[in-house]
Amino acid sequence: MNKQSRQAWTIFGLTAPAYFWLTITVLLPLTAMLYFSFLTATPIGGKEASFTLKHYIGFFEKHIYRYNAWRSIQLGLFVTSICLMLAYPAALGLAKVIKGRWREAIFLLIILPFWSNALVRTFSWTMVLREPFDILYTYPAIVIGLVHAYLPYAILTIYVSLQSIDDSLIEASRSLGATRWQAFYRIMLPLSMPGVLAGIFLIFVPVIGSFMEPRILGGKQAIMLGPIIESQFTALNNWPLGAALSFIMLAIVLIILGISTPLIKPYLEKSS
Amino acid sequence: MTRLAKIYLVAVLVFLYLPILVMMAMAFNRSALYEMPFTFDLVWFKALMENERLLQASWNSVWIAAVNAVIATALGTLAAYAFARYEFRLKGLLQLLLFPPITIPWLIIGISMLIFFFWVGIGRGLHAILLGHVALSLPYVIVVVGARLRDVSVQLEEAAATLGATPQQTFRRVTLPILAPGVIAAALFAFAVSFDQFVISYFLAAPGTSTLPVEIFTAIRKGFTPEINAISTIIILVSMSLMLLVARNYRFGGER
Amino acid sequence: MSRFVLTRRSTLAAMGSAAALGLMGRQSRAAGEIKVLNWQGYGTDEKWALEMFEKQTGIKVVHDYFNSEQEMLTKLRTSPGAYDVVLINNIYVMDAANEGLIQPIDTAKVANFADLAPSMRDSDRFVKEGKHYAVAWVWGLTSFAYNTEKVSERPDSMMALWDSKFAGKVGMRDDALEAIQIAALATGQDMNNPADMGKVKEALLALKPQIATFWSSEDEWNKHIAAGDYDIAVYWSGSAARSKKAMNLPVEFVVPKEGAIGWFDGLTVAAGAPNPDGALAFINFMVDPTFYVPWDTNVGAPASANGKANAALPEDAMNRTVLGDPEVVKRVQWMAPLSDEQKQANQELWDEVKTSFVQ
Repeated sequence: MNKQSRQAWTIFGLTAPAYFWLTITVLLPLTAMLYFSFLTATPIGGKEASFTLKHYIGFFEKHIYRYNAWRSIQLGLFVTSICLMLAYPAALGLAKVIKGRWREAIFLLIILPFWSNALVRTFSWTMVLREPFDILYTYPAIVIGLVHAYLPYAILTIYVSLQSIDDSLIEASRSLGATRWQAFYRIMLPLSMPGVLAGIFLIFVPVIGSFMEPRILGGKQAIMLGPIIESQFTALNNWPLGAALSFIMLAIVLIILGISTPLIKPYLEKSS
Repeated sequence: MTRLAKIYLVAVLVFLYLPILVMMAMAFNRSALYEMPFTFDLVWFKALMENERLLQASWNSVWIAAVNAVIATALGTLAAYAFARYEFRLKGLLQLLLFPPITIPWLIIGISMLIFFFWVGIGRGLHAILLGHVALSLPYVIVVVGARLRDVSVQLEEAAATLGATPQQTFRRVTLPILAPGVIAAALFAFAVSFDQFVISYFLAAPGTSTLPVEIFTAIRKGFTPEINAISTIIILVSMSLMLLVARNYRFGGER
Repeated sequence: MSRFVLTRRSTLAAMGSAAALGLMGRQSRAAGEIKVLNWQGYGTDEKWALEMFEKQTGIKVVHDYFNSEQEMLTKLRTSPGAYDVVLINNIYVMDAANEGLIQPIDTAKVANFADLAPSMRDSDRFVKEGKHYAVAWVWGLTSFAYNTEKVSERPDSMMALWDSKFAGKVGMRDDALEAIQIAALATGQDMNNPADMGKVKEALLALKPQIATFWSSEDEWNKHIAAGDYDIAVYWSGSAARSKKAMNLPVEFVVPKEGAIGWFDGLTVAAGAPNPDGALAFINFMVDPTFYVPWDTNVGAPASANGKANAALPEDAMNRTVLGDPEVVKRVQWMAPLSDEQKQANQELWDEVKTSFVQ
């Protein structure tokens, strides 16, 4: 065997196990779900199923699905923007203002909750929001629970990209007469955009699909696309409809991510 | 400026920790209905010890996370090595394929796994949950190990090669030891991802056996006593200690 | 009593029988366990009952739970051979039987079978081609209960749920079927086949200012009443008995003049059950007065399908006074099975109502 094909085999051997696993557990299932979404009924228990587009059409025709998809998107936008707004100053302070042992300690404290069980943290909110705040089972309760869960992600990603900005760049601009604000606005903000974008990815996607936090914290407000999809599997036996709605949700996510990436691209280009 | 930053960060920390501390405190309160005044009692921890369901579920969570960590780290390290040391045509595509597990809402992934596993006969259960968790952990492992690999000097590996070591020997005796902190960090990452994972486990749990997050969710919906607080407290303390282990091994916030 | 002499013969005999017992023991240990699928806290998992049962039969009982009837069906469909005894509401039994999820009951092995009320025992919801697919177990009503400390006058109409003096203090379960049936009753219609679904929907939409939040379990219901979130809430008769007796909450269950939703549950044996004999023994135990009377008296339960068991209850038990009252029973509308299309239509209607609640 010559070097080239030996190398090819090595590469194959190294990557195949992981990707074989991913194929079986993610790619094939997604394909299966796509197939299911075109069936008339769940093909178990000897039920006859045939090809149909009615679930997809149903999404566009029926108000409940359109409206709740919008509710989920809204939730995603709310939570993501609040997270970014809260996270940016925190990350900035941590990366540029606080130094030394403090920095490491606070950083650790911030991402520590991220490693505790998310459900447990949601559950903790049911205690606090009932008394003394008494806003359990409301929309704000859902938002608070989700912001709490995903804030550390945002702080982490923004911090990492801020931290890689060379201090000498800032110093140079200051010495050339830029104000603090200008230094921030024209240098730091653009250079930190990769971190912001990463944060958006990591927050928006899970939030849009969430059904657990709305159910636990939201009471009457819990109705959104996530819980509706979940109930197709737990309350009804309509897997095809659930599958179709899931793919529509996926499409929504991809479209939104696709739209926001070009918006941020100019900043990404400036940073490189 | 530093003062302002410190105050803001403390406020953020309060927001992050308040509910957790309240929840943990209630694990030690005697009242079953979370009533005040606070009376210290370990009764819920004792009750927890007798709650076979919760304990079994916790144990399932732990060993699934451990096995997951081993498998995901092994598979992911190999793949990360390939990405870091070789250039090949499909590289871009393969790296793109790492995105689905993190960019697709878990709700969708969980449901598609449920459908597919049922269709091909894999069914539900702890083995199905393990399959799902490894898939979710792989991207994280590959990223973490990949980052570490970039730091490891290629020259060291080349030097070993000129001294007559085969690629396997170089990998085992030069690369791996230097990689070690990164691999350990990735393993702990994978453990945490699995231990915390709720959505996939919820759809793939078999009757009679489930993982801790699923039990907690069921308890929250069906009715619970502070035993849930007790087990939650234990989990938080354990996962945070694991995280501290990671931090010591693999410097975050790193001053280079 | 002859003295035990350690001869070679008796030792060999002892060892032999020990080995045989050991083998049998291993078999009976496998035969000595059953898996039950039911709602949590619904009788079959009472600790004292399971101890009693294990003492009588040596069979250990392991439980799994479901939070909705659909979940129960999904579990049966996707895990064959995982369960022995499954609780199924009468309206789902025939579906389960037709799908091959449950097996016919060998009624000869259920000693108390003859004592069950014939209307439920031999109901065509349970019997197919002369074979029984479920053993009638308990029955009860769904209507509402109110907080006797907060509400001075006992409401006697289903429309109390719509009464503005209870605005923001009403509780309901997030269940499409139940909600539609309550609204149908309130609008004086046949709940299994409402003539005017438009009116039903209107009624449900009108609940917007009334509902505080949804409950999804007995425990949640109790917590909401105790916290003062609910003054009046939809509830089940058996659960109301439990909340009053076991949890000491000041609640009273009402069967209003428009009627209540009647349901009865059956215990079934899953197809491919690992221990069908054990399953039948357990089912028999569940309809036996030795289990039922303490269950209702000490904990609270729906009414038993076993006439003898019901008659053995103390005089003031709600199951005798309210559910035993023929006037009340006349007002009850019994739940009927639904087609998949109906279920889907119901779910969509309910989703529309819930969506309007948040608009």
